[in-house]
Amino acid sequence: MATTPSRKIIHVDCDCFYAAVEVRDNPSLRGRPVAVGGDPGRRGVIATCNYVARRDGVRSAMASAHALRICPDLIIVKPDFDKYRRVSEQIHTIFKRFTDRIEPLSLDEAFLDVSDCEQFQNSATRIAEALRQQVRGEVGITVSAGVAPNKFLAKIASDWRKPDGLFVIRPEQVNDFIGALPVEKIFGVGRVTADKMHQLGARHCADLQTLSRLELGQHFGSFGERLWHLCRGEDDRPVHNNRRRKSVSVERTFEENLPALHHWLAVLPALEEALTRRLTNLDNHYLVNGLYIKVRYEDFTSATCETPGGMADREVFENLIRSQWQRRPGAIRLLGIGLRLKDALPARQQDLFPEEKRAALALQRASRP
Amino acid sequence: MPSGNKSGQTNKNRSREGIMKFSINREQLLKPLQQVASVVERRQTLPVLSNVLLEVSGDRLSMTGTDLELELVAHLAIGGEVREGETTVPARKLVDICKSLPAEADIRFEIDGERLLIRSGRSRFTLATLPASEFPNLEEKTEGSVFAIAPGALRQLIDRTAFSMAQQDVRYYLNGMLFELRPGRLRTVATDGHRLAMCDAELEAIKDQAQVILPRKGVMELSRLLGDAGGEVEVIVGKNHVRVVAGDITFTSKLVDGKFPEYDRVIPKKCDRLVNADRETLKQALSRVAILSNEKYRGIRVQLAEGSLRIQANNPEQEEAEEEVSVDYTGAALEIGFNVSYLLEVLNAMHGDAVELQLGDSNSSALVADPAARQATYVVMPMRL
Repeated sequence: MATTPSRKIIHVDCDCFYAAVEVRDNPSLRGRPVAVGGDPGRRGVIATCNYVARRDGVRSAMASAHALRICPDLIIVKPDFDKYRRVSEQIHTIFKRFTDRIEPLSLDEAFLDVSDCEQFQNSATRIAEALRQQVRGEVGITVSAGVAPNKFLAKIASDWRKPDGLFVIRPEQVNDFIGALPVEKIFGVGRVTADKMHQLGARHCADLQTLSRLELGQHFGSFGERLWHLCRGEDDRPVHNNRRRKSVSVERTFEENLPALHHWLAVLPALEEALTRRLTNLDNHYLVNGLYIKVRYEDFTSATCETPGGMADREVFENLIRSQWQRRPGAIRLLGIGLRLKDALPARQQDLFPEEKRAALALQRASRP
Repeated sequence: MPSGNKSGQTNKNRSREGIMKFSINREQLLKPLQQVASVVERRQTLPVLSNVLLEVSGDRLSMTGTDLELELVAHLAIGGEVREGETTVPARKLVDICKSLPAEADIRFEIDGERLLIRSGRSRFTLATLPASEFPNLEEKTEGSVFAIAPGALRQLIDRTAFSMAQQDVRYYLNGMLFELRPGRLRTVATDGHRLAMCDAELEAIKDQAQVILPRKGVMELSRLLGDAGGEVEVIVGKNHVRVVAGDITFTSKLVDGKFPEYDRVIPKKCDRLVNADRETLKQALSRVAILSNEKYRGIRVQLAEGSLRIQANNPEQEEAEEEVSVDYTGAALEIGFNVSYLLEVLNAMHGDAVELQLGDSNSSALVADPAARQATYVVMPMRL
């Protein structure tokens, strides 16, 4: 078997995040059942709740009014998403001390690929432990972490010792771990699929492993192929880093300095062509927020000239070059052009009645077979 | 009104089914027949729902179409040789036959066993019937608040707001229009959870308070019906039904059983930024920029600065559009995103030359109104950029 170096993935999951933040900010809530969610009088639903409330049966997506009935002492705090976003950012700055390869799943969950992290002798276990300590110390909430060779297993592992726990699945432990794993633990296996598996006599992943790719495909459709890998603990999905670019640019250093304006302008078409190539390699979710040119004179001093907004237009670049020439004519050794970028991730439509929407969707989920 | 199908007395009435006979001029029949048939759904689980109910009583013909939620009844005077009776026949086929006959044709109807015989000139058709006793009827009497209103005024209340109704939302109470009665005022409200439209009419005739939700299909049918109505229409708002009597046509709809959201709390009360623009200019600019917005999300970026509104859109193909519109505005700059379709639909529903935008920050809803006609108010939630 070919040995590809094993990856080290950490899945970090904050323990009842919203509720934990609220308890942190209001110590009088400590030890009491606390939920974050909508007004019970307005068909609000529970977004999350702490472990005290979970003991009484309170769950996420439950109608707030119902939660109050089964747990009359429950304190329902109105969500403050701006605050949670700030706390989440703070946690991410801690992540960044260890790696840039961070894939956030939500405000309170992320995958980290620490395969190349040089700290702690590259021990993912010790990195995860350090990370948990730093979040506890600096942010004031607890997080659980799972360490494994891939995202699928890391996510299962973070749930294994929750709350405030760490669980590690080493590459050599994968086979034993996955074999004994109940099929319900596979991400994407709900009650219906699990029932179907039970009927086929498969209660654990080891049982699923006895089924061929074809059989899995027959029983579980398009999910079959993925299932074949997952029940063996295999998952090669990379950790997607969604760091966004702030700009894109190209520049050329010339063998001979460009002494005159018409020389400056003459290199523009080639630069523009290169810039277009760079742009097509970017994903689609960017908006041009400004254009700039950059020059370096023969004395090695640099200058940029830019204009806000607009489109990547030859004429605009030409005007920028002319303005720079007017400001300081002379021979240059480098010319670059670039675009300031702005995120244009699909904008999210905001709701007039978010609580009604959450309640209706929760209801719909609950009534689905 | 369709007769009930409950009591033992019904059977005696049904004995008339065998003999119904009447004739009518095509022009007199066609329009009301088409209106009634428009309620009938093409695909039906219950066969009789594909039919129209025809009833002849005295010198009057009644035609009824229903989808169990909505019922339209047309009453027509008929002369000549008339025999009372009732039956049901396939709605579409009856419409198609009457439509295709020549103008001013005299059409004769007669029940022949289990068939309806239709004759006109040298044309002859027999249609399959189903017993009138199988035809369902909505509640016979609708009691509640009664008021009269000009059809144009009621239609305006509907047409200025209907475009904001939800379609097949899980929040079923949004798939319709709220009619809110207050003494001296009738208000309609429609919202799909992203935008909201509200329109008021002052109406002395209203004495009561009530809030009812008319389902989407009923709203559309009613608007169409009102377009043809003259004089005044009578509106009866009951607990479970709304009835509108418009001349010879009676419209009855079940109501949506649900609580409409407290819409008042999403209508912005304070306004940080007041922008006045020319409606047509803004509409044109938006519709041009919309061409290059993301086809699915329809997002545009609006940059407000003193005296100008810059509108930008781009799509996944990296194509971009930009427009600048002169507006009447002094104050701090603002950047805010919108679904361009929502803005365009509002501007299309308005009629005046000017449009007023009231904006808060980039996460707050925008209020759109016609400064010369404030009975209609529009609220649009932004998109988070």
